[in-house]
Amino acid sequence: MQIQVKCSCGGEKCPEWAIIELQGVVEVQPWYEGRPLHNLQIGTLCRPSSQENYTLTIGYHELTGSKVTLKKPLVVLQKVKPTPPGTPNTSNPSSSPQVELDVVGIIRHKILFKTRPKALISS
Amino acid sequence: MEQQLGSSSFQGPEAVLNMQPSSSIGIAYHPLFGSHPDLILLELDDKLLPDLLLHQRVSLRGQPDEDAVLCTQSKTYAIKFVGTSNSALLVPPSHLYQLSQNSQHQEPDTIIPDDGKLIVPIIQVAPGNMELLEVAPRLDKLKLLLSQKPYSYEEALEDMEKDDKTGLYRWPDLVDMVQASNGELENGLMALSALEIDGYWRIVDEEYMDMILRMLLQNSILNEWSLDELDEDEVVSVLVADGFPCNIARHCLHVYGSKVVDGTVGRNAWRLDARRVGVHFARAILRSGKMKMDNFMEEWLRKIPEGMNVSFSMLEGEVLTDKFGVETWVYAFRVSSLPSTPAERFAMLFRERSRWEWKDLEPYIRDLKVPGLSSEGLLLKYTRRTQPTADAEPVFSAR
Repeated sequence: MQIQVKCSCGGEKCPEWAIIELQGVVEVQPWYEGRPLHNLQIGTLCRPSSQENYTLTIGYHELTGSKVTLKKPLVVLQKVKPTPPGTPNTSNPSSSPQVELDVVGIIRHKILFKTRPKALISS
Repeated sequence: MEQQLGSSSFQGPEAVLNMQPSSSIGIAYHPLFGSHPDLILLELDDKLLPDLLLHQRVSLRGQPDEDAVLCTQSKTYAIKFVGTSNSALLVPPSHLYQLSQNSQHQEPDTIIPDDGKLIVPIIQVAPGNMELLEVAPRLDKLKLLLSQKPYSYEEALEDMEKDDKTGLYRWPDLVDMVQASNGELENGLMALSALEIDGYWRIVDEEYMDMILRMLLQNSILNEWSLDELDEDEVVSVLVADGFPCNIARHCLHVYGSKVVDGTVGRNAWRLDARRVGVHFARAILRSGKMKMDNFMEEWLRKIPEGMNVSFSMLEGEVLTDKFGVETWVYAFRVSSLPSTPAERFAMLFRERSRWEWKDLEPYIRDLKVPGLSSEGLLLKYTRRTQPTADAEPVFSAR
């Protein structure tokens, strides 16, 4: 079978997504565990100077990193179930496969924090 | 990680990518944060982007039991998932994943400091991404599919349209079933000397091809045609008069000849190719089994049309010879009948012979194309090379 990769994002105007990448895993405080993460703030991203250096403060930890351009871009694909035949606006109802892939974005840069966190000592 | 946020307006990725010096933004989980298995990150070369974004000529191909490949117009790529132990927090554009009225207020115990700080939401922690690796098209299956029901003389005699189309394939069927790009599929069909008959891609039965080629050669004697300059219209009309369908007559010229570039307008001329004609008759002779070299050469040369120059070396990749005492025997061993993946190819070769001299081996591996691996690399990977003395011929055996 064949799955067509479509692009509804409009070619060169394909929206750029961003990645904030850090080592390890972000975990919630033990007392918060089990509750939904939605809307919860993770931390604060800061660009202290005009250089492409960034800090990410999570709780009492600070990460230092920089903006990097990916050697090869990442394309964000989304699996889409085509609208079932019969509904209006289906362009090609006869040969619709089970899924299609839609290009919804492209990622060219990420803010990379590759060092271990530094503890912020409260004064 | 202590505060929760309410329905403040979220920023998109540009807030992260174009951050002003001496500024800060909050990073938070999106109200629709989750594993989002429908999202796939695919790493690819910049040069493939236009195919994907502008021309939309990229597709994934494969049957459910095969590993999917990605095909552009001309190339095939294997797809590999690369996981990461880092956390890649994904920031979507703000117009995607917009909140419905309900989800906006799903957290009643929202505590948000109203300090006007901008918030960038994370939709997913990406588990890794897909990578592409250029691979050779998987064309063995094409050969297998088309060999199920070759077009035969008997079928050509039947005028009626047959209802039974099992084992016959149209172009879209081949695209569905064969893991190759459109360009590679077209080349594969050409290499198999396939042609489209009534919308189905077919290879023509060898005996039928033998009939029509011999008829063409007979006609060339009767009509005193030059085999270096066969007039297409004339040849086709004579063969049609002899009872062959027009498309098969034309196909015969394509298979055994090459077009002569000719300035004369409105006239297509063809030159018969000595190697292809020679290979055809060698195959026909050896179909019944191996033969002594002298007998083979005698019979072969007798079948070759007069004026056509052939030599035994034209049969490289088609026949092998064995020495038994003083006698040399010839037998058919066709490179085109061997698998096209290197591991399977070498396994078959070493099953045929445990030791190969380079001059014998080369015709059976020169068509192997593995992106990123040279022919020396292939030999290193799949063979053991022995050379008793520095100036002796190297011999290749299985690893």
